[in-house]
Amino acid sequence: MERRWSPVFNPSNLLKAIWQWVDARLDLSPIVKHASEKQVPEHRHSSWYYWGGICLFLFVVQVLTGVLLMVYYRSGPDAYDSVREITYQIRFGWLIRSVHAWSANLMIFAVFVHMFSVFFMKAYRQPREFGWWSGLGLLGLCMVFGFSGYLLPMDELAFFATRVGLAIPETLPGMSGIISAVLRGGPEVASATLQRFFALHVVVLPALFAPLLGIHLWLVQKHGNALPPSEEAKPEAERKSVPFFPNFAMRDMAVWLIVLNVIAVLAALFPWQLDAAADPLKPAPPGIHPEWYFMSQFEALKLLGRVIPGTLGEFAGVGLFTLALLMWAAVPLFDTRTAPGQRGRNTTLFGLLVLIAVIALTVIGYIEVL
Amino acid sequence: MNYPVWDVTFLGSGLMIALIAIFHVFISHFAVGGGFYLPMTEALALRKGRKDWMEQLKKHSKFFLILTGVFGAVTGVGIWFVIGLANPEATSTLIHFWVFAWGIEWVVFLVELSSIAAYYYLWGRVSDALHIKIGWVYAITAWLSLFAINGILTFMLTPGQPWLAVAGSGHETFAFWSAFFNPTFWPSLLVRTLICLSMAGVFALVSASRIDGEKHPELKTETILWARKWLLPSFLLLPVGLFWYLSQVPEGHRALLSLGAATVGQGLFTILTRLTIVLALASFGTVASVYLLTSQRNAVGFRLGAALGIASLAYMTIGATEMLREMLRKPYVIGQHMYSNGVRKSEVAGFNQNGYLTKTLWVRPEERARWAAEDQAAASGAPRIVNPARGELMFRGQCMACHTWDGYRGMRTFLKGRDRQGVSNIVNVLHAYRADSPYRPFMPPLVGTQAEVESLIDYLTSQVSAPKPQPSKP
Repeated sequence: MERRWSPVFNPSNLLKAIWQWVDARLDLSPIVKHASEKQVPEHRHSSWYYWGGICLFLFVVQVLTGVLLMVYYRSGPDAYDSVREITYQIRFGWLIRSVHAWSANLMIFAVFVHMFSVFFMKAYRQPREFGWWSGLGLLGLCMVFGFSGYLLPMDELAFFATRVGLAIPETLPGMSGIISAVLRGGPEVASATLQRFFALHVVVLPALFAPLLGIHLWLVQKHGNALPPSEEAKPEAERKSVPFFPNFAMRDMAVWLIVLNVIAVLAALFPWQLDAAADPLKPAPPGIHPEWYFMSQFEALKLLGRVIPGTLGEFAGVGLFTLALLMWAAVPLFDTRTAPGQRGRNTTLFGLLVLIAVIALTVIGYIEVL
Repeated sequence: MNYPVWDVTFLGSGLMIALIAIFHVFISHFAVGGGFYLPMTEALALRKGRKDWMEQLKKHSKFFLILTGVFGAVTGVGIWFVIGLANPEATSTLIHFWVFAWGIEWVVFLVELSSIAAYYYLWGRVSDALHIKIGWVYAITAWLSLFAINGILTFMLTPGQPWLAVAGSGHETFAFWSAFFNPTFWPSLLVRTLICLSMAGVFALVSASRIDGEKHPELKTETILWARKWLLPSFLLLPVGLFWYLSQVPEGHRALLSLGAATVGQGLFTILTRLTIVLALASFGTVASVYLLTSQRNAVGFRLGAALGIASLAYMTIGATEMLREMLRKPYVIGQHMYSNGVRKSEVAGFNQNGYLTKTLWVRPEERARWAAEDQAAASGAPRIVNPARGELMFRGQCMACHTWDGYRGMRTFLKGRDRQGVSNIVNVLHAYRADSPYRPFMPPLVGTQAEVESLIDYLTSQVSAPKPQPSKP
């Protein structure tokens, strides 16, 4: 006898039924409708749109590998030994650690690229000011993530670099007590510091980062992708776009795959090494310097310190930095053009100046320490 | 006899070979796969009566001719230069034994180059049927050149027992065919042919990305959808081919693959495990990204940047495959016959007995006489004279084919923190080359008399204890 399948067992009917059941309870239809109606502009600068997605992907890699590392990582006096076990004994532990470290660096790089692309495309202008500020907040948190994560292996390099890093703000009047009490947990970088950095890295920062990221993504969805002034100037009929789903989403995934492969190559060919265990009694090894993303700030302070020696120089340096950072954050308040196509050349020049200064100071910093 | 060794600071000669050879393989595999792509696509376009596609194919064949004819040929000659300098003993052995195979390969190569030039310049000047035939002449000769080279390359990993039995006897030629059709010949040919076909697809995507999608949406979509089909056979069959290949590799070599599972320690051959990870991920990434970027919906908007992204992934796959193949051979450069330091297995006892530097031409006779006198004096109880210069010659002869001081496989990093005793422990383990030595799976034996070995220890210690040279600051 021929066996007939009832329509209810048809896979597409079954999927439809499941979808209806879920949608009736969670009301997901508007989100799907939004995704299917959303358009992404297509023009000669549209490759910059991928960088936000790259940052998000790298963050996901960070979370996944971070959780796996936490399975074996032991904060406190055993920290170094646990990282040694991860790197040299646990199967593929070295891979997870290398992927975590490389993707952290790539993520900060991607966030920088994303920030400058947003800046030069003038995507901070009305109504996207909060997108700009939330993005800057995320960059700041990423850098603190990097700084706190660097100490966790508690090897020689991590120990001395953290000691140098924490000594910079300590020179400012009134800061010494705060740094000692809050971050270092005592007069020296030690076990207490490690515990605080660990708590910061895995609890405090994610707790701040996740909601801020949620707000940032919600704003991106709400306002859509910004058009650069050169595209805004075109009549609407000449502008082109592609649907976000599935066209742009598929391209996004392809870019993520390429990024994943870049991480794999870096982790495989240049696996993250582990130095000797930190020994506070030993002298600092030569050439200790901050990570590359702090290098421009470090070098600027150093150069300023040569012009104005002593605490005054440090104070002036930090003051100048704060001012520059505030100006950078306040760009949407200065550049308030709303008519389409207005380029804002002075703002572009300011952005170029900042970009060149950051790159030049980083390069000079590396030339000096190497 | 050992030769003076080419000193490539930081990169090292091994990595130098890899850099040139991987680029060459990337282009030459395209040259073979693209050979099949051209006449097959031309026949398809003719069948469909698509003149616009024929025009596009003509442009693609120009790109093909320039890329393969110039870069493929130049890097091919580059490999000869670099292997001759990096490992002269092995290169000499290969030239002597494979001279006729290489002769055949050169003849095939000449036909290959002539036919691809004819294919391009005869577009529209001969009948379509003849033009396609010229394309097939190119395709077959290009594949035959792969066939010939594949025999020589696989021989280096698995020369086979018949050849090994006569190696060094002067009767090696009698084992020519068994050495050519050695155990890894067929699986390697399958893997390489599959890679060639996928490279044809990758480069067809690169040239298709240049088609103006707004003016020719149909042509662009059709070209891209046809090009991406060329990647599928490789992706589906490559794991089968690789398993077949690995099953033919001697167990000792295969075991190297698992070295990096638990550790990433310096000096171990963990790179093989790491490359396997890259290979698996990059081959999946290439195909998956092609299908994501060139879906029916995205084909018209497919740009050069995306195509180059895919080509980079393909490059990673090829790079990982080639490096894996090279490193699987360790500790040999010619499997079971010649170690990676150019010392034949059969010569080890002789070198240990009579000395490694005794026959080298790169030492003055009076220097050699002085060493002999020093060795004799030391044997009769006189204090040993520290001789790093003699050790440096040992280092140049036996270590520098693979190691640098401060870069790739850097000795300074490997020996960091060791005093003379520490260095001596490692060197003596390599010299003794016991069956249970942890270095034996990937390091060749260190040969020479005990006095020569001691001089190498002197040299290594003097270099490790000396401060690392710092670049001068203005």
